[in-house]
Amino acid sequence: MSTIAVPEIAAQPIPERRGRRLPYVSLAIVATFVLAGVLAPLLSPSDPLEQALRLKFRPPVWEERGTWANPLGTDRLGRDMLSRMLWGSRVSLAAGVLTVLLASAFGAAVGLVAGYYGGRVDAALMRVTDATLSFPVILLALILAVTVGPSFGNVVIAIAVILWARYARVIRGQVLTLMELDFIAQARIAGAGAWRIITRHLVPNTLNTLVVLVTLQIGYVIIVEASLSFLGAGIPPPTPAWGSMIAEGREFVTSAWWVSFFPGLAILLVVLAFNLLGDWLRDTLDPKLRQL
Amino acid sequence: MIRFVVVRLLQSLVALAILTIVVFILARATGDPLHMILPMSATEEDYANARAYLGLDKPYVHQYLSFVGKAVTGDFGNSIRARKPVVELLQERLPNSLKLALFAMIVSLGLAFPLGVMAAVKKDTAIDRIAQIVAVLGQSLPTFWVAIILVEVVAGRLQWLPAGGITGFSSYVLPGFTLGWFVVAGMMRLLRSGMLEVLDSEYVKLARVKGVVEHRVIWLHALKNALIPVVTFAGIYFAILVTTAIVVETVFAWPGLGRLAYDGITSRDFPVIQAVVLTTAAIVAAVNLCVDCLYAFIDPRIRYAR
Amino acid sequence: MTRISRIVGATILSVTVAIVGATDHAPAQAKTELTVALSSFSAETLDPALQGHNVKYYLSLIFDYLVGVTPEGQLTPAGGLASKWEPSADHKRWTFHLRKGVKFHTGEEMTSEDVKFSLQRAMSKRSTTGYAGPLRTLIQDIETPAPDRVVIVLKQPTLIIPTYLSRSLSTEGMVLPKKYIEANGDDVFARKPVGTGPYKFVEQVTGSHIKLTAVDNHWRLGVPKYKNVTFRLISEETTRIAMLRRGEIDVADVSRERVKELEREGFPVHFRKDEAVLQLWFVLGPDGWVAPTKDKRVREALNLAIDRKEIAQAIFAGRAEPAAVPFGLTWSWAHVGFKATPDMAYPYDPARAKKLLADAGVGSGFPLDVYAFQLPGLPEGKAFAEAVAGYWEKIGVKPKLIPVDYPAFRKLWVDRKAPGAVGYYNIANRDWIGTYALLEKMAYTPSKLNATVNDPEIDGMIAQVMDQTDQAKINALMRNIFTRLRSEHYGVPVVYIHAAYATSKTLGKYSPGAVMYDLFIDTLASGKP
Repeated sequence: MSTIAVPEIAAQPIPERRGRRLPYVSLAIVATFVLAGVLAPLLSPSDPLEQALRLKFRPPVWEERGTWANPLGTDRLGRDMLSRMLWGSRVSLAAGVLTVLLASAFGAAVGLVAGYYGGRVDAALMRVTDATLSFPVILLALILAVTVGPSFGNVVIAIAVILWARYARVIRGQVLTLMELDFIAQARIAGAGAWRIITRHLVPNTLNTLVVLVTLQIGYVIIVEASLSFLGAGIPPPTPAWGSMIAEGREFVTSAWWVSFFPGLAILLVVLAFNLLGDWLRDTLDPKLRQL
Repeated sequence: MIRFVVVRLLQSLVALAILTIVVFILARATGDPLHMILPMSATEEDYANARAYLGLDKPYVHQYLSFVGKAVTGDFGNSIRARKPVVELLQERLPNSLKLALFAMIVSLGLAFPLGVMAAVKKDTAIDRIAQIVAVLGQSLPTFWVAIILVEVVAGRLQWLPAGGITGFSSYVLPGFTLGWFVVAGMMRLLRSGMLEVLDSEYVKLARVKGVVEHRVIWLHALKNALIPVVTFAGIYFAILVTTAIVVETVFAWPGLGRLAYDGITSRDFPVIQAVVLTTAAIVAAVNLCVDCLYAFIDPRIRYAR
Repeated sequence: MTRISRIVGATILSVTVAIVGATDHAPAQAKTELTVALSSFSAETLDPALQGHNVKYYLSLIFDYLVGVTPEGQLTPAGGLASKWEPSADHKRWTFHLRKGVKFHTGEEMTSEDVKFSLQRAMSKRSTTGYAGPLRTLIQDIETPAPDRVVIVLKQPTLIIPTYLSRSLSTEGMVLPKKYIEANGDDVFARKPVGTGPYKFVEQVTGSHIKLTAVDNHWRLGVPKYKNVTFRLISEETTRIAMLRRGEIDVADVSRERVKELEREGFPVHFRKDEAVLQLWFVLGPDGWVAPTKDKRVREALNLAIDRKEIAQAIFAGRAEPAAVPFGLTWSWAHVGFKATPDMAYPYDPARAKKLLADAGVGSGFPLDVYAFQLPGLPEGKAFAEAVAGYWEKIGVKPKLIPVDYPAFRKLWVDRKAPGAVGYYNIANRDWIGTYALLEKMAYTPSKLNATVNDPEIDGMIAQVMDQTDQAKINALMRNIFTRLRSEHYGVPVVYIHAAYATSKTLGKYSPGAVMYDLFIDTLASGKP
């Protein structure tokens, strides 16, 4: 069976290998949820925070007892699941994207500086990076949550505070390799300053890696946020976030499956899409990248 | 080579030293443990008594120095909540954590291998895509949700396996699978890209030309070489498994380090927080050190890049 | 067939047998193991002097109390180490007559010296138990005129001593082995506790389990029915229920929401009725009440805005009933003869609530911080806080949910750093002395720290209870305190919650009793008919 596939690969010229088909499905999923989040105020049929205890645990419309008033049912406080899902995509995606942007910006900056200057600067920055990397993400987020209280901002900061170190490491490694190359030396001889070399030469050459890492980690952040909700340190109620919705609904997996199922499905689809998108980007942009 | 190892070791120690300061401050930022151990009716005098008894009335610098001074000798003080030496708690928990991580590691390797090889060999076919999706699924679901569904279905309904605690080998299956699946995607990616690289290389082509049977090419030549990054990364994954087990430990009532840390944080048990963070950090550092040395051993260029 | 394949075959067979054996949980005729799964173990300290109420679940099996109680909470000479007790005429000397021939797990006989030692230990500076403070102020001396007689000499007359040293309150009444502790030190004792109870300590793995084994013969229970009793800490409910279904555990605390499902499957669920009153209270400022909740009308409006029946149904799955009196601990009402009359019940009346707010000059609403935290035994905590905030929003108040964990809230509250905010607690129901002790701390301003009521009239009544030795007069005072707490709306009592404990199908009769933080697991183990 393998005789068919392998020669094909071997025969493929490199440019074509890079031209792997666009992951349309993943793109469509991400686009759908982004739109849902952006348009949540227009799309959601009711206020995601409006509670009606008498209407608690209404099942989705296709089940017995379900009504069109709550197409995806209601949660334990009688809030409309569909509206919460829509607003949830806004909150969860925003948390994922913001965290990763924050972490990657800071981490990349550290990596660039460390790689460019080398020596003591590098050593000092890398020791801090090592220390950060060895601190378990969830524990730090828990500590921050009990210290300053959980909130959207604090969750974003708590995860970013740990995540930046991975970017710093990877980018520094790339910069080290780039610094060996001739064009940097040439730029130096031509009298380019540090700022110019970093922004004109190093940043563009590490951008691919950064894009791949960012895409792969948005999903990771959404999952970490959900885990934090489970431990009581995620984005707090009543804000609708997928993670906290699953965490709240987990007690009712048998009696009201829809409360945790829909946000679970949403997380699954979005994270899967981001991961596959990231894998595709890696294959296309930076096939040698191995970091998570 | 020896110089490289020594330098790396020193670097790890410096990172750990930085961490002692960070964790000391963070632990104290969480609040006041006395509110957990004293009854609601405690008077201000009771608070003062307890504070003195626990040594929390001393200046921070003093507390820090005594923490570090003792930690160096392997003494992390007494747990404020359990009133036992923290080392005893670590001794109870650490083996459980390591065993679970090891089992999860075996599970994830067991899944990642066939998936990764299949995906590489059948690159860009439906099989490749399905293998990738199966692997990535583990990373795309919140661990606690997977865990709870497994407990409900496999333990509660089908009653095949124990739901919680450690009662024997069967207790490892559910938490090990939940935890292991989470890192399958990463390993599978490594293996797949490694395999692709090797399959594309000159010497595999040469082997083919020489007429080596195809499955021998895949299994012997390609896999052997693609394994190196997997083995080196396996160490890092092991560290990830030890440190992210907290959610799995909670659901499966697994007495490991993660749960200890969680209890430590919620009860503001400073010595426990400090000890768990430093222990896990030391494990991570040790693993990284081994991996780096292994790398440097395989690929001497790295020694100079650092 | 090679040797290896035979070994493999045998292994597979034995694994299959093991799995089938584990799955098919046959009810053995004489079950020797009892396993209790709890969602929380509290501090997991096995030294009674280092813990308050919350550890009684397991400590009550290792230790006996000086004064015993029935599972319903009545003091009884049959349940404790004292078979008789009487006060002097002035109520300043209490004499306790001890049971003879009771032995510690070490084999040594329990004497009055041990009782004296235990009490002194409970009152020591190191002790962090709930009632160490009051005992320190009350007790002047402890005399041991004979090995079977202890006399407690008090600084002032009081009726509360037997109850304070009984199983109905905290851990101060547990009798510990003097010689063992003096010979081995406090640390060894905390790790290997020794008592006179029906079960001996075997093993503790913190965060996992506590294992006990039966004594040969216990003065109260005879030969215990179960050889071993294990308490397992299983924090996730789904896991506890799965273990129950698999027959891994015999007793488990379950949330009210899952009761129906378990009963449908045939698992007996036992309730502790009115286990706690769930109440919201006002956090005082450094100088007492803070506007606008300083205004009685505002406090009444906050009470009227809540639909208690709906909360009982929707949040607590119907396993709760509306409450009307702040600190309305019903188990104590039976003792003091108080009854909540129908006119005390708060109707759900948002219209009147709005009017009251307008009368008080805050008709346009006001910001109100609501601290939302998770408490042991109250998995519904956060949903409850969200629901209450929702009701208040409907009358124009602007509640802000502040998610914290309980220790963080407690610090803010005790330090009075969150004036005017609202917190909540599932106040465990208790007898009149427990209630009095609670009010003394929470409604009696001179004791400060965690007071939530600031009212000189209530302070006066509480001070009188302290010095009173006439039970009838005490009862009258207590009734007046409850009446005033209700008429001044000193808190927002919402519901009485019933606690649910599910058991395996084969366990048989079980009642978790009516003593706070005690499950009376020993009644299950009783070897006597």
